[in-house]
Amino acid sequence: MDWSYIQGILMLAGINLIAVLGLSLLTGFTGLFSFGHAGFMAIGAYIGALMTVSPTTTPAGLGLPFAVGVIAGGAAAGIVSYFIGRITLNLKGDYFCIATLGFGEAIRLLLNNVQIFGGSRGWPGVPYKSTLPAIVIVDVLAVIFLANLVRSRHGRNMIAVREEELAAQISGINVFRYKMIALIVSAVYAGVAGVFFAHYMTFIQPKMFSMTKSTELTIIVIFGGLGSISGSVLGALILTALPEVLRAFEIWRLVFYGAAVILIMISRPKGLMGGMELTPAGIRKVRMERRARLDAQKETQNGQDGEEKHG
Amino acid sequence: MGKKNMADILEISRLTKRFGGLAAVNDVSFSVPEGGIVGLIGPNGAGKTTIFNLVTGVYSLTEGEVKFKGRSIVGLPPYKIAGLGITRTFQNIRLFKNLTVFENVLTACHLSASYNIFESIFRLPRFRKEEKELVGKAEKLLDIMGLTERRDLVANNLPYGMQRRLEIVRALALDPELLLLDEPAAGMNPDETEQLMKLIGRIRDEFKLSILVIEHHMDLIMGVCEHIVVLNFGVKLSEGCADLVANDPKVIEAYLGTTEEA
Amino acid sequence: MVQFLQQLINGLSIGSVYALMAVGYSLVYSIMNFSNFAHGGVIMLGAYFGFFALTLLKLPFILAFLLASVGTTALAILIERIAYKPLRERQAPFLYFIISAMGASILLENIVIATIGPTFRTYPQVFERTPIALGPLAIGRLDLLMFFISAVCLGGLIFFIEKTKMGKAIQAAAYNIKACALMGVNTDRIILVVFGLGGFLAGVAGVFFGMKYTVYPQIGNITTKSFIAAVFGGLGSLPGAVLGSVLLGTIETLVAGYLSSQYRDLIAFVILIGVLIFRPSGIMGKNTVDKA
Repeated sequence: MDWSYIQGILMLAGINLIAVLGLSLLTGFTGLFSFGHAGFMAIGAYIGALMTVSPTTTPAGLGLPFAVGVIAGGAAAGIVSYFIGRITLNLKGDYFCIATLGFGEAIRLLLNNVQIFGGSRGWPGVPYKSTLPAIVIVDVLAVIFLANLVRSRHGRNMIAVREEELAAQISGINVFRYKMIALIVSAVYAGVAGVFFAHYMTFIQPKMFSMTKSTELTIIVIFGGLGSISGSVLGALILTALPEVLRAFEIWRLVFYGAAVILIMISRPKGLMGGMELTPAGIRKVRMERRARLDAQKETQNGQDGEEKHG
Repeated sequence: MGKKNMADILEISRLTKRFGGLAAVNDVSFSVPEGGIVGLIGPNGAGKTTIFNLVTGVYSLTEGEVKFKGRSIVGLPPYKIAGLGITRTFQNIRLFKNLTVFENVLTACHLSASYNIFESIFRLPRFRKEEKELVGKAEKLLDIMGLTERRDLVANNLPYGMQRRLEIVRALALDPELLLLDEPAAGMNPDETEQLMKLIGRIRDEFKLSILVIEHHMDLIMGVCEHIVVLNFGVKLSEGCADLVANDPKVIEAYLGTTEEA
Repeated sequence: MVQFLQQLINGLSIGSVYALMAVGYSLVYSIMNFSNFAHGGVIMLGAYFGFFALTLLKLPFILAFLLASVGTTALAILIERIAYKPLRERQAPFLYFIISAMGASILLENIVIATIGPTFRTYPQVFERTPIALGPLAIGRLDLLMFFISAVCLGGLIFFIEKTKMGKAIQAAAYNIKACALMGVNTDRIILVVFGLGGFLAGVAGVFFGMKYTVYPQIGNITTKSFIAAVFGGLGSLPGAVLGSVLLGTIETLVAGYLSSQYRDLIAFVILIGVLIFRPSGIMGKNTVDKA
């Protein structure tokens, strides 16, 4: 196993991680499940490629620097998500899922028909720009931004929406607005992931961004544990790296995903991290919660013992 | 119709809510005076919680008017009404169950800060300052209400009575002027009910609130409420002070039924 | 005009297959209030069961058909027991069910790819394929059979739901399953029956689909369209599922015929988005309100 092989795995995991982190905000922290986020990756990939591909390769290309592609791809995904959100965020929980599924597929089908992007045959010739250092930097920034957002009143409001939507409303939280923020941020993250993906594979095709890809992303978030950023990081690394390592079992990768998801749902829906963070603060929090619970139990115990003595 | 009292914090006029053909609330009018504690009682299904839902904007009304501090709040979404100063608790407790006591209250303090997302992400000075203030406010609230020791307990693991208290604290975090309590004493034993009664009086004074309570525990209602409104089948049966209502034949009939002719 | 009628007939025939699939979605939704995404995988396996019954076991057509349907019935019930029952018992939020369903769907599709392989299979020709002429119009024999069998199955289902005791229990459960349980009705058995019925219909639909087109592991994705049809007609309503399917099949075929076959799949999603914007409960769907 040589370094370039390992590097390839790390890079794919890193690219997946960007999208997974965004989705984690929407699903893990705000409680909205999306089966269409590959659509946002696709938008990012295609718009990003549009910016960077040289006009000599494809007439439509603009040949601009990679950074422009990243910003344009992320922004485009964010803008589209805003319009999708206007339509869908008012819907009941599982109707929202259906809607995201619909939009994800619709985006893919539309791209199949856009000939300047190569249609269903795909678009080759995207310049290779996704180096490992670039991906790592983006990952670190993505984690920091997400963590900062979550540990603020905005993040707490999103968590409240996930926990008890009605109580959140009553507590003055504009539920629609915060769902929209979560959706847009998650779409931008997915779009950026898409740009990096395009400039890693150097070739993009609509069927790379299918419902299966969307579901994979959601599965990773669930596996890592809803509401845990470190869970998403670990989940993305493990679930991207593991199947690559077991290359011979490539065709069984998705079988494994499917079975894993069912197992997680029926036995440990809280996922790997169970909502806790693998940071000093996170571990401290879990310790304090456990101590508080034990103290409370001891109190009731003493109360009962006291009653026995007096009784 | 009673004379209009200019110091009424909440005025409900001819409030009606129809679900299809059924009127859950039918032409109900009453007011809550500023600083007062009003009780809303009636048999199950009388429409009491529906009125709460109408006032807080969870349901849209079919007919009538709701005025808060003299201004109509009809048609406003629940979060805006909460922002204006009306908060509530729920019949079946709706805490953020997986969050700790502290987190429940801290979340509800959000309206006391104004930093935006950009400032959160980049941890700018205004974020740091206001976040510290929010934490301080949450801690103070927990202290006043005697929940500091349990601040790290997950809300779901709180004893029942404390869950109800936490829900009240969370409602107070929004600096309300009108607090709606939906059966706060449900499931409580006489000791706990006694403590709750003292608590209600205390928070009314300390936080300068007006309170509207739905309750079935008659000792709480009689002990704490200065004015009582009785509902049955969505219609207002009676209102007045405790003695008046307790002796009103219509009220007695609604709760106990008429005596049969021998 | 003739072309229009011809397209209409084609649309109706594909609509009847969608109807068989869509009814399965609506049945489960009406009782359990979630969208059983694993249904697509069951349909796909129905196509495979029928295929292997015909080619490997060399069974006569009717037997192969029945075997496939029995197989999918068992499969649907198995999925319910493994992937949903534990969630029901823990009273998990309905979103967990959808995720479990998605997992099952991916599992089924990829087990087939991993074991049997992704190559397309064609059903052996079981009977004459020459179309029947009706004046200037041509009706495929297979289409006629599909339409007929679908009608029989759906008719049987409606009869079952309206006239039998179990059917009435299902109606009651669809209205309020908790109340049913409180009344002492064995809701576990009702759920079993509902999944079994859906599974049976999935088998019929799968075999027909395989006969009309080809057999491949991604058939489950086509059933997304029947799911859209169920949403269009109103999730939870059986007549709605049939109506939505027939309409979708017809619209789709007309669009493909008059505009371009490129847009055939896209129109289904346009309809979905339209429904979700303007009338999420569908043409005949039920509405639920959250009580505070």
